[in-house]
Amino acid sequence: MTAAVDTKKRPARIALLGNPNTGKSTIFNRLTGLRQHIANYPGITVEMKTGAMLVGDQQVEVLDLPGAYSLAAASPDERVVMDALDGRMGKRPPDLIVCVLDATNLKRNLLLVSQAAELEIPMLVVLNQWDAVKRNGLRIDADLLADRLGVPVVTTVAKRGGGLEELKKAISHSLDEPRRIPRILWPEFIDEARDIVRNGLEETGNDVTGPEALRMIFDTDSAFADKIGHREKLKPLLKSARDRIRSHGMNPASAEPVLHYRHIEAVLDGVIEGDGMVARTRDSVDALLLNRFWGSLIFFAVMYVVFQSLYAWAGPVMDLIEAGTGWVQDLVSPLLEGTPVLQSLVSDGIIAGVGGVIVFLPQILLLFFFIAILEDTGYLARAAFLMDKLFGWCGLNGKSFVPLLSGYACAIPGVMAARTLEDPKARLTTILMTPFMSCSARLPIYVLLIGAFVEPVYGPLVAGWTLFLMHFVGAVVAMPMAWFMNRCILKIKAQPFILEMPDYRVPTLRNVTIRMWERGRAFLIQAGTVILSISIIVWALLYFPRPDEVAAKTREAFIAEKSSAMPADALAAELANPESDLSHKLDHRIGGAYIEQSYLGQFGKAVQPVFDPAGFDWKITVGVLSSFPAREVIIATMGIIYNLGADVDEGSDDLRSIIAQEKWHEGPRKGQPVYTLPVVIGLMVFFALCMQCGATVAVIAKELSWKWAVASFATMTVIAWVAAVLIYQIGSRL
Amino acid sequence: MEVNAAPLKTLGKIAHGQSVEIMEISSDCGRAGRLAALGFLPGRRVRISRIAPLGDPISIEMDGQEISLRRSEADLIGVKEIA
Ligand SMILES: Nc1nc2c(ncn2[C@@H]2O[C@H](COP(=O)(O)OP(=O)(O)OP(=O)(O)O)[C@@H](O)[C@H]2O)c(=O)[nH]1
Repeated sequence: MTAAVDTKKRPARIALLGNPNTGKSTIFNRLTGLRQHIANYPGITVEMKTGAMLVGDQQVEVLDLPGAYSLAAASPDERVVMDALDGRMGKRPPDLIVCVLDATNLKRNLLLVSQAAELEIPMLVVLNQWDAVKRNGLRIDADLLADRLGVPVVTTVAKRGGGLEELKKAISHSLDEPRRIPRILWPEFIDEARDIVRNGLEETGNDVTGPEALRMIFDTDSAFADKIGHREKLKPLLKSARDRIRSHGMNPASAEPVLHYRHIEAVLDGVIEGDGMVARTRDSVDALLLNRFWGSLIFFAVMYVVFQSLYAWAGPVMDLIEAGTGWVQDLVSPLLEGTPVLQSLVSDGIIAGVGGVIVFLPQILLLFFFIAILEDTGYLARAAFLMDKLFGWCGLNGKSFVPLLSGYACAIPGVMAARTLEDPKARLTTILMTPFMSCSARLPIYVLLIGAFVEPVYGPLVAGWTLFLMHFVGAVVAMPMAWFMNRCILKIKAQPFILEMPDYRVPTLRNVTIRMWERGRAFLIQAGTVILSISIIVWALLYFPRPDEVAAKTREAFIAEKSSAMPADALAAELANPESDLSHKLDHRIGGAYIEQSYLGQFGKAVQPVFDPAGFDWKITVGVLSSFPAREVIIATMGIIYNLGADVDEGSDDLRSIIAQEKWHEGPRKGQPVYTLPVVIGLMVFFALCMQCGATVAVIAKELSWKWAVASFATMTVIAWVAAVLIYQIGSRL
Repeated sequence: MEVNAAPLKTLGKIAHGQSVEIMEISSDCGRAGRLAALGFLPGRRVRISRIAPLGDPISIEMDGQEISLRRSEADLIGVKEIA
């Protein structure tokens, strides 16, 4: 065993370990200030933060592990705690484990500590939420506990910074004079079981540590087994190890907790006084908030406020950001007048791209403001309790509600909000479902098409209903898909849905702002760069190759067309004035011609046959394709394609009447209208189901992985296409 | 393990407000292990403190803490009703 850590040679590392909701993150933030960043580990979607704290004049690296009730791991996400402690993540094991416990619930919190003691790493125990101990009518003898455990015990009220100085001192002290909690004394048959596995595996040249062998024996669906490989070899070994346990009258599934708790009860004997009664206030507040009628009413009121804030309140700020983007464009553009390519790149590619990233910030910050409050007050757990039944059947859980609801405003904050789900499988499913929710960027295309084709024929009532129903298309398709995916595709074992009902607490401004700042920063840095790159690539595809003769030819054709109606000199005079009506028309026509010959336009024409079974002509196809990076551009793109310029909006009568009159110019349907009802419905459904949003792809890639991002993008595209084709084919035969 | 003569009920089938003693945990199932880690172990006494408006999940009081579980998972726990 190493003696004191030589902090001069290498920075010491400490890891914060604890159950969910004990205050680990709060302590982490207090220790590191804002000197922290999110650590990325391949194949893992839970977040681990690392930061730096100063102990004396030494830098110490602090690792904030995900909250866990046990070291048992059925998925790589859960295994990360053990991997980090075990030095299996490309880094040596921490020099000190700081165990953060909820002092009001010592017995359960000590299980994880007792499991981790097996690793024989020096430890320090923190009893957090010390303020709640008295409130709950408990008395805890921290000194006695320290004696029994053999390591220092510090009490803190992290929320208010209480005890933090003592904690820092204790950390410094523990780094100099490391102390360990003695391993639990296993009955002989457990040691034997462990040796069966270790010795058996030794032949394969695979050395697992004792603690790892125990994990594989105790956890039925252990994720460690996956890491070790040698499945055929391992299976009989584990079976005989478990049989050994069973032959001593213990259930292998619960042997470990039973033995640990026996040990913990001995440790805690005489440490806690008081009956640990349930806090009275919690009971009476719960009676209201979880009441069938009032509880539901309050739930919907709360969710309404959250949703409304994203959907409506964020609007003005977003408008301001868009206006600001335009202002910067106007400011910079003239400076680059001489080099049109550069001008367009800077203005339409870079500035618009940066604006397109920042524009998501208001919604992200607002949502995380509410989530921080909902989590800190303890209401989020209650909301999940109320809603779980609705989501459980398809592999989601009650905590999926907030992300999915947010998805109706915008998928970006929604996907990010799925962090509140602890269960990796439910979290993954929730993230993949969120882009199906009808976000506000889908609204304009619905309004345009319903306004142009449904309302004039069927009246406002049907139009209103169509718009309403369009909002559920995505959810109706997504939920059965989630069910199917959970049943047939995802290999991760489902874990029990465990929901702790925390005491009601008053949120702190500090915590709320830190949460908002963290998420906003992570979005800008991680997703923002990807979104910006996408926007520049798309700009290039829409801009190039841009041969000069396109403008010249369009101009000639335009003059030839107009000269029959007015005298040549009058026409020339009109065109000489860049502000005249005709000049604008010509500009729009040139814009349309350029988009047609751009790489994306050419691509649209080339792949039009793919969309032909859905009844889309090349113009719709180009519109659809150019909307893949961001669906909200569809209206502007259609404006350009139909020679009206990019400034149209979904209420534009010009655009509505032009698309209503649009006819096929060639092919078998020549002369027939393009926008028939099946095409219109198919197009709307396509937009409802397709992930036409580069920012969402980028955020999913950051929250899960590129593999999942690409897979969900491809799946949604195929589903959208199939749906549009089905609607057109069936609809046009009716 | 020796089990009482009276047939065991499972925790998911217990009425609101009823207190029970845990008798056994279903064996060889990863999910049961998770529940055991939370403290659902033979000998412990718990109470059904609340049932969600939609009938599931249920909230269970143990050691002054409340934890909610789905009925399907609570059914992994065999219990005996106590007065
Ligand atoms: N009463 C009280 N509440 C606290 C204290 N410290 C933290 N909390 C609250 O406990 C809740 C959970 O704190 P976090 O720091 O997010 O807990 P965590 O352990 O990081 O939780 P996970 O991220 O789920 O692992 C928050 O609402 C905090 O405000 C404390 O000392 N006393």
